[in-house]
Amino acid sequence: MRSMWTARLAWLLAIPLLAVLPLALDGYQIYIVTLVLVNVVVAVGLNLLTGNAGQISLCHASFMAIGAYTTTLLMTNLGVPFLVALPTGGVAAAVLGGVLALAAIRLSGFYLALATLGFLEVTQIAIEEFGWLTGGVRGLMAPRPTIVGGIDLGSDLHLYYAVLIVTLFLVWVAYNLLESPVGRAFNAVRVSAAAVQTLGVSPARTKLTAFALAAFYAGIGGGLAGILAGFIDPTEYGTAATLRHITFIVLGGIGSLVGSIVGATVLTLLPEVLRGAAEYGDLFYAALLLGSLILMPKGLVGLVSHWTRRGPVLSEDVTPAQDREPAR
Amino acid sequence: MSFDIVVQLLFSGLSVGSIYALVALSLVIPFKASGILNFGQGEMLLLGAYVALALSLAGLPYWLVMVLTLLISAALGAVIERVLMRPLVNAPEFTIVIGTYAIGLIIKYAMRLYWQDDVYRLPVPFSSQPWVIGTLRINPVYAWMLVVALLITAALALFFQRSRLGKAMRAVSQNQQASRLMGIGVERIFSATFALSTALGALVGILFAPVAGIHPELGNVILKAFVAAVIGGFTSLPGAVVGGLLLGVVETFAGAFFGSTLRNVVAFAILILILLVRPNGLFGTIESRRV
Amino acid sequence: MSLLTLEGVTVRFGGVHAVRNVSMAVEQGEIRGLIGPNGAGKTSMINVITGMVPCTAGSIRFRDQEISRAPAHEIARLGIGRTFQHVEIFSDQTVVENVLTGMSRHLPHGFWASALSLPRARHGERAARLAAEELLEAFDLTQYRDVLAGDLPFGVLKRLDLARALAARPLLLLLDEPTSGMSEVGALQAIETARTLARNHGISLFVIEHNMRVIMSLADTITVLDYGEKIAEGSPAAIQDDQAVIDAYLGANADA
Repeated sequence: MRSMWTARLAWLLAIPLLAVLPLALDGYQIYIVTLVLVNVVVAVGLNLLTGNAGQISLCHASFMAIGAYTTTLLMTNLGVPFLVALPTGGVAAAVLGGVLALAAIRLSGFYLALATLGFLEVTQIAIEEFGWLTGGVRGLMAPRPTIVGGIDLGSDLHLYYAVLIVTLFLVWVAYNLLESPVGRAFNAVRVSAAAVQTLGVSPARTKLTAFALAAFYAGIGGGLAGILAGFIDPTEYGTAATLRHITFIVLGGIGSLVGSIVGATVLTLLPEVLRGAAEYGDLFYAALLLGSLILMPKGLVGLVSHWTRRGPVLSEDVTPAQDREPAR
Repeated sequence: MSFDIVVQLLFSGLSVGSIYALVALSLVIPFKASGILNFGQGEMLLLGAYVALALSLAGLPYWLVMVLTLLISAALGAVIERVLMRPLVNAPEFTIVIGTYAIGLIIKYAMRLYWQDDVYRLPVPFSSQPWVIGTLRINPVYAWMLVVALLITAALALFFQRSRLGKAMRAVSQNQQASRLMGIGVERIFSATFALSTALGALVGILFAPVAGIHPELGNVILKAFVAAVIGGFTSLPGAVVGGLLLGVVETFAGAFFGSTLRNVVAFAILILILLVRPNGLFGTIESRRV
Repeated sequence: MSLLTLEGVTVRFGGVHAVRNVSMAVEQGEIRGLIGPNGAGKTSMINVITGMVPCTAGSIRFRDQEISRAPAHEIARLGIGRTFQHVEIFSDQTVVENVLTGMSRHLPHGFWASALSLPRARHGERAARLAAEELLEAFDLTQYRDVLAGDLPFGVLKRLDLARALAARPLLLLLDEPTSGMSEVGALQAIETARTLARNHGISLFVIEHNMRVIMSLADTITVLDYGEKIAEGSPAAIQDDQAVIDAYLGANADA
């Protein structure tokens, strides 16, 4: 497959580049780049669910919140080591993702969007309601852990490498899944649930897998985001966050793994570049989302492939006579 | 639980419910006509509230503010529909959801830029001293909300039954193709329904403002309106009204028994329950596919 | 034991009977034709057998297993496949991906093996792609391998639909108007391919057709429906002479 070699090339270039990058940056810049990686994980998860499997989800941020609180509380309250706490946060989010999938099985489109919106609100309420555990509106401190071997993640550099490893792993897994029966089932269910059933694939099971997977990614992203910031702020996991995540994938390219990476990177770095306009940030984001939706429906990735496409796909002299559309 | 308290709770439940009912109507009316469910409808409400605030701060009396706000909002609604909503009419559902959501957020953040997060009060021409009838204490603002809601619902019912525009809107909701063939300008009906819905939203904004204050998060009431519309079934206007009133009453009683946080959970619990068990709601006719 | 047995099958939507009390049996290795005027209930038959539409009354047994209440994907897993009259291909996947999706139920690698790119998954994918290439070759689709299905003309899509359905290696394949939209040449070619594949792999076919020339030459037995009821069943020769059939078609195809 022609795209497989481009992918291998990309990995080969990206990994050493990313490994060396932080050595040239100062502390704050390392924080930003780490944030980019976290957002890539979140975006990839959402794109698998919405872009590939076609399930509208407005509560991706809730899964992040579940991951963040679970990971941090396990570490601070129960002394669970980071290497166990983080995946557990992901799993906790995945379980709830599975629950939401039950709604997805019966609903689609607007109704599913509403159900996920309801879930977003319920998590916000739950965070406040269980304030004795979560710190409620005041938030929760998320201190950086030490992991086995005494490597202290308090160092920005060490945290970056830890996050890099997690990100590379999860992107690799997403890539594998997309080139497998699982990924093909996602894409198929989005287009025609009827046809996919006749091939023996259960749309219900596919949606369940998609939701659980996306939630897992968000949960991991949340766990990492919490310790990166050192603080879990519940207002960071509401509608504004949802808007951001969706903008990542719409701008980058719906249904495209590369799109998720591009979107997350560009939109995390952009506010840093446009420093003075902090107030206008949210407004800008919303306008960008609307603009991309209407003007660039296939995202930045779609724009690039449009420019690099080599001529028409089916030309007269190549298509055999019996395959051409009959003249009308 | 004494009879008085029950009546009291019922009254406030119905008042709040009437707000939900009106917002739900403002959602369902354009949805039936053009198939667009406006996830940014809450911000239309917000827009109306801020327009009213601006007019009020300019010194105009309450009644004039109300009338002008409705007219301005209707006009703004028509413009927004033409420019931003029209391209979405036959778009995939994801695009409609995210697009309308984004439009709403743009309005909210634009408002917030100018008015900041301050909470403003809209001056109303009656005192907030409760009326005392026997052992009941009735808040005049709540009474006003209920009365206006009932009047508007009745007016809308008449409008859809008797007026030409109303009947044209009903025709378009039922069958766009046939309506077009009968000479009804379908696109103009889209504009009209959206203008109507924005004006409704603005009215709610004005009614609700004395209770909640005017601030950028005012649009969040839309979530309750969604629940109300789901209870009623999205295809039924009377259903939306019944849904809203029912939600208001259930919520208020839940709040009285279980405290204010649980009061909010009730709405979403109902939402999720209905979507899973009976997505058609009480009166709707959309089938849910089991796939 | 017949491969597929229908007894008193009725399908009702609201007040309309799409299929009314139909009984029939399809044997292993058979090629069965289903014909009838428009609206006779032919597509509903396929829909009820594949579980896409609920069976109001009656029994449907496949290899002696009751399937009238089973979910559609379960029925497919038991070995019943179908194509669609208006092709339901996956328009934003490439041609080869469509066929690969067809193979889903037979691939040895599931979620975890795929996610972690275990050897089983890599071998499974490689084998799958080889098998897919063979199918593409058989249906003259190799040149369109990496083209997005949504960009292709209808006639090509019909072939793809068939190739994808066969990729699932069904025991019984239900074809809904497989040659509609194809040129005469294309239709005959496709049917020959289907017949050869069917005979070689022991797949039984159940074919709805409007093209009388095609169905009369292809089918072993033909069942005729009219207004949801079975009005005749027999060999192509017998059907052509059957008065009830001729009446139903108002003599339109008497010279097929």
